[in-house]
Amino acid sequence: MRWGMVINLAKCTRCHGCIAACRIEHFLPLRMTWPRLIALETDDGFSVDVSTYPVRCNQCKEAPCVEVCPTEASYKREDGIVAIDSNKCFGCRYCVIACPYQNRTYLSRKRNPNYFPEHAKTGFEKKGKQIYPHQVGTTEKCNFCMERIDAGLAKGLKPGIDREATPACVNICQARALTFGDLDDPNSNVSKLIREKNGFVLHDEYGTEPSVYYIDYKLGGAPSNKAPIEAQTGSHIQHLSSVYAPSKEKLAKKNAD
Amino acid sequence: MNARTARQWMVTHEWMIKPMAQTEWISGKGLLVWWAEVFSALGTGLYLVSIFFALREEFAVTAFWAGILGWIGIAIFKLPLHAFYLGKWYRFWRAFPPFSKAWRTSWFARGIVMTMIFLVFGAIQLILQGLIAYDVADSSGVWAANYVFMVLAGIFGVMTAVYCGFAMSYCKSVPFWNTGLLPIVFLLMGVADGLALIMGVGMVTGEDVIPTAESATRILLIVNALLIIMYLVNANYQSATAELSVKELVRGRVAWVFWLGIVLLGIIVPLVVSVVSYFTGEEASTGLLVFAIICHTIGAFSLKYGVLKVGIYRPILPKGRAY
Ligand code: SF4
Ligand code: SF4
Ligand code: SF4
Repeated sequence: MRWGMVINLAKCTRCHGCIAACRIEHFLPLRMTWPRLIALETDDGFSVDVSTYPVRCNQCKEAPCVEVCPTEASYKREDGIVAIDSNKCFGCRYCVIACPYQNRTYLSRKRNPNYFPEHAKTGFEKKGKQIYPHQVGTTEKCNFCMERIDAGLAKGLKPGIDREATPACVNICQARALTFGDLDDPNSNVSKLIREKNGFVLHDEYGTEPSVYYIDYKLGGAPSNKAPIEAQTGSHIQHLSSVYAPSKEKLAKKNAD
Repeated sequence: MNARTARQWMVTHEWMIKPMAQTEWISGKGLLVWWAEVFSALGTGLYLVSIFFALREEFAVTAFWAGILGWIGIAIFKLPLHAFYLGKWYRFWRAFPPFSKAWRTSWFARGIVMTMIFLVFGAIQLILQGLIAYDVADSSGVWAANYVFMVLAGIFGVMTAVYCGFAMSYCKSVPFWNTGLLPIVFLLMGVADGLALIMGVGMVTGEDVIPTAESATRILLIVNALLIIMYLVNANYQSATAELSVKELVRGRVAWVFWLGIVLLGIIVPLVVSVVSYFTGEEASTGLLVFAIICHTIGAFSLKYGVLKVGIYRPILPKGRAY
């Protein structure tokens, strides 16, 4: 068994829901982010094209972060998840540098202020400290919501199928851009998607064998997966227009075409 | 909200899209890593040079004190600086066998283990060297034991000197470091630093180590200059990100560190001083030698700073595959 995730770039509407879900699920400190939503902007002078990539730890099969860790705090589970034992990590940050995808973040004091820095901790934060304590001075990253998977499996549920056993970001994704399942099972939802829609991984030349796959039209080349223009929702265009003010007309024109 | 504030808010969008410099090992508390690595080079360099001089009886006292200083550089400076850098320094022991088997794959763990072994063998060797240098016990048995520990401490000293280079060159994430040349550059620059420092020790002890150290320095500095050129040329053609690192180093914001610190003070000044004394047939004056030693040491700080500072990550997206 090897848990994996497939991210359909054509479906992602850049709503930041996955980022929020992960923050809530793990009571992430204010300046700590496990998944990220990054955007590659190309502007040919006529149209602005923004491809958004939700990224998180790829749970690499050959994980450099595990190999370099001097304390064995970073370890690989039998189900392929790369986890960190924060009681063992001594915060050398070698893994942060060695991860070719930059998916690890060191939790420094600066990254861990109160949610409202000038004010006392909120009730949510206080609860979080009990339920999911984060240790300042150690390194963190996405763990494929292994707590949910373990608890779900213990109840006989199926990760990727049953919501209770499925990662929080996958559950919340309103566009169903994220799919979770077993990569070792050729009939699983993820294996089928990768096969049928030309799934690809980021920088496969590193030989890290990531467990997070991407599918899209542009890079994966599957015509059936071409992003519909309406995927760029109104709110998204509005958001872009505030970031790249001069391109508003160009985007409007592109949408009209 | 103007475009600029909006952009700041959306900072995650710029993450790893373009080549991004590593900061963990050079900014803020990361400066401790830089200092630790400099003391690693100076300490191991001086110790390794000291055991070569220890082979000659007339340099016994200089070799002893140089060895002590090198050992102190590692034990009192390098290790504590590394430990203070850690987020949880009191878990330092977790990197050691039998608590961890990480030495099988991790250069960091290997380095810590090698450093500790070096310190133990080095301490024993220095005690023996002290007995010989101050004629407390000068029997053939002590000499033989000294040789044995010289070899042992020497081997682990070399490993201590190179492990940091290997730890960095392991990182595919930073193409500029991802080359087998890096450990060699660090080792040879460290030995050259050691040669410069032992001249200073020789000035204090009064033993005539300067001519020997100078002739070795001349050759080593030329070798090092060629090695650095080779390293930069290699990086320049290795990948677009490594090329960017080279540009940043020789033409970017840290160019002054490269040209002033590494090239001028670290290589040219010490080389000119030793070449002039070679052609004039006279030893350089004490003042000039002290100046050359200081310049060389600044060069050691500059080299590690420059290499750490221009460590740039390869972008994450396939579009950036050219990097
Ligand atoms: S993406 Fe980075 S942190 Fe995650 S397993 Fe791979 S190397 Fe490790
Ligand atoms: S920061 Fe922690 S998890 Fe990362 S390599 Fe160091 S000890 Fe291991
Ligand atoms: S899988 Fe879980 S831990 Fe990873 S990004 Fe999604 S919500 Fe966060």
